[in-house]
Amino acid sequence: MSGLVFRNVSRSFGAVKALTDVSFDVSAGEAHALIGENGAGKSTLLKILAGIVQPESGDLSWQGEPLKFQTPRHALERGIGMVYQEMLSFPNLSVAGNIFAGREITKSGGRLDEKAMRERTAALLAELHVPATPDTPMDRLPAALCQLVQVARALAFDCKVLVLDEPTTSLTDAEVDHLFAVVEQLKRRGLTILFVSHRIPEVFRLCDRITVLRDGKHAGTFNRAEATPDTIVRAMVGREPPARVPRASVDAGRIRLAVTRLSRAPRFRDVSLTVRAGEVVALFGLVGSGRTEVLETIFGITPATAGQVEIDGQRVTIRNARDAAAAGLGFVPEERARQGLFFNLSLVPNIILPKAAKDAVLRINRRNDRREVEHQVATLHIKTASVDRTPDTLSGGNQQKVVAAKWLATSPKVMLLDEPTKGVDVGARFELHALIRQQVDAGMACLMVSSDLPEVLALADRILVMREGRLMGELDGATATDDAVMQMATHEVVA
Amino acid sequence: MKPFWRAREFSTLAILALELLFFTYYLWPAGGGAHPFFNFDNFVLIFKYSSIYGIAAIGASIVIISGLIDLAPGAVIGLTSVITGYCFVVAGWSLPASMAAGLLVGPLAGLASSWLVVKVKVPPFIATLGVMGIWRGFGFVVTEARFYDLSSKLPQNWHVMGLPIDWLGPIIMVLLAIVFHILMTQFQWGRAVFAVGGNETAALFSGIRVGRVRTMAYVIAGLLASVSGVVLAAVQGQGKADLANGYELDIIASAVVGGTSLAGGRGSVAGAVLGALIFGVLRNALPQIPGATFYDRMIVGVVVIVIVVMDQVLVARSAAK
Ligand SMILES: Nc1ncnc2c1ncn2[C@@H]1O[C@H](COP(=O)(O)OP(=O)(O)OP(=O)(O)O)[C@@H](O)[C@H]1O
Ligand SMILES: [Mg+2]
Repeated sequence: MSGLVFRNVSRSFGAVKALTDVSFDVSAGEAHALIGENGAGKSTLLKILAGIVQPESGDLSWQGEPLKFQTPRHALERGIGMVYQEMLSFPNLSVAGNIFAGREITKSGGRLDEKAMRERTAALLAELHVPATPDTPMDRLPAALCQLVQVARALAFDCKVLVLDEPTTSLTDAEVDHLFAVVEQLKRRGLTILFVSHRIPEVFRLCDRITVLRDGKHAGTFNRAEATPDTIVRAMVGREPPARVPRASVDAGRIRLAVTRLSRAPRFRDVSLTVRAGEVVALFGLVGSGRTEVLETIFGITPATAGQVEIDGQRVTIRNARDAAAAGLGFVPEERARQGLFFNLSLVPNIILPKAAKDAVLRINRRNDRREVEHQVATLHIKTASVDRTPDTLSGGNQQKVVAAKWLATSPKVMLLDEPTKGVDVGARFELHALIRQQVDAGMACLMVSSDLPEVLALADRILVMREGRLMGELDGATATDDAVMQMATHEVVA
Repeated sequence: MKPFWRAREFSTLAILALELLFFTYYLWPAGGGAHPFFNFDNFVLIFKYSSIYGIAAIGASIVIISGLIDLAPGAVIGLTSVITGYCFVVAGWSLPASMAAGLLVGPLAGLASSWLVVKVKVPPFIATLGVMGIWRGFGFVVTEARFYDLSSKLPQNWHVMGLPIDWLGPIIMVLLAIVFHILMTQFQWGRAVFAVGGNETAALFSGIRVGRVRTMAYVIAGLLASVSGVVLAAVQGQGKADLANGYELDIIASAVVGGTSLAGGRGSVAGAVLGALIFGVLRNALPQIPGATFYDRMIVGVVVIVIVVMDQVLVARSAAK
């Protein structure tokens, strides 16, 4: 019997053809990957399955029965569970409230069964190794943990098809292991899994078959055994996969950023580090190790409890983001939707604003701005109908490119990057790395947080490893291996 | 679970207690004798006036938590008193039937508001501003700027179930506060209201019927404003088009002082009632302070801002832990 079948599915948004005549099927009980470049149409296809977007033509069926959903509710009722790329959470509710929103457990008489929900939540959090309690307010969780809570939410209900749209973008291998263990278990119970990720190794680990979309068209479905990462990437981009960005050959220059015994109790303590001109330093650690908090504290978003920061040998006091920008810091934040984009403005002001603010531009020169933005959009392959569109019409990875582009355009003295290529496809990731490298070679210092170990190994000159709010040690980027880094990030301290 | 003193409503209760202490001390009669503020009859009076705002504020807090705003409750209270008065005085209906007719005014306003907001996608501020104008205006059309005198047809020294009529509002307010507090905190529907106000898209994707939840919120708010209107008509013995003029802002302010966030997703029904009482005490006590007569509006304005700012500081501090 056939499982989930997509037949000739098409959908466009205005002039953009998001999906053209896509047909493939997912066998019942398999783990199936959906991959493609940013804007290839993956999320659109999944949103059709979830009843959020309606197809213009074509149809879907599940075990021979047609699926036609007008609302997300219908899809949920038919057993389609989904984790959205946008990480939709309720900041005002607790973790348990988030997991059960819309499908609360009730006692007879309709009262909420808080106890049952809390217990079930605690069990799910334990299964995924999430360090949070059911009563933790959602707005106090860092982004990576929010992502895990979203996954827990999808797992909390009996569904037949579990759809995961880029659930691992903020996770390191350690958390991915926990997640995959749970997903494997569900698969053994007969669930059908649809999985989207830009991390090719992950896809090969989890999925039996891989469907590639290119420019909204079906570019092939491969068995894991018959495919290699290279064949997949070639099908995705339609050309040879990009090489690595060459590491700088010149020696690093003077110290641009010096952080001394910086603390923000209880999140991290006594962090001392330096970043030199011409150098990319990566801060690596598991979710919750304090890596994002260090960047946010340096940038003045959260106050430090102790320690000092020097830029170019000058001690600086940074109380807020404005001070930070004035001192020559730039920051690409982790949560693009909440911290990085103006959804009411088109791409031109979105990309130009930080630079304009820095240069203290009074009068806007529309023509120049446009030209510059069009140039950025072209170099980073930002897929959009025009630079006059608002960011919400872009796919997730393309939104990320906008956020990264706008801050890189300010060429600060010291650039802080938090997951700069979150959800960005392999090709565009290469372009972003090249852009970062180019600016670093021109004398910028860069401190980067990334969960993606291959990215860290490809880009960083030095790797600082954090664990539980402390720096554990330093590795050389050119010679470090996956194992060495992960071991330092997870190893128990021997007293 | 949080201990009770960490609950959101506790800080509102604490403010109310402080306020009572302050006025009791400040208005202490110099030469002995009866206390002008701290006495049973005065408390009944405070409760009686606060209940008009308080009952409507329950509905306002629900609407605001769901991420909307309602400017119509003042107009609904006015028109409710007019319809009740018309049916009772002019049409000669029985009192319960007249009140029932009055109670339809609010839900209809709620339906109109929610149709505009949910279906036509008019911004809630504008939609309810329009509904407020229409409902208020209709009261004038019906009464032709006169008023209906219910009191002459009502019994002197009126008692309901053995209690003086002044107690009607407070009792209804407390009962409704309990019912809706439980609905909002212990039932699925209440959780859905919080979810919709917290993140509309996430709520939609979670299968919550966002439009239906918001429609219910407006209808409930309308119904509760109508209950205020019926109580006001009975207690004042009047049906008058410009009754409760401008109350909408005090009703919203009661909810906000009680911890409801205008951004949606956070708040409390019990807090809104306590907020109404905080206002009630101020309105009752300030005129008794010699020389404060011309300052009382300014003082109320300052107090609202101080309470809300204090609240934000407290919330920020507890979040930093
Ligand atoms: N609401 C919308 N309005 C206009 N265009 C849209 C809308 N949603 C998606 N698109 C366009 O449809 C195309 C496919 O987008 P989709 O989100 O499906 O890509 P994706 O494969 O998920 O990419 P990513 O890897 O970046 O998440 C993109 O070009 C995008 O700009
Ligand atoms: Mg996507």
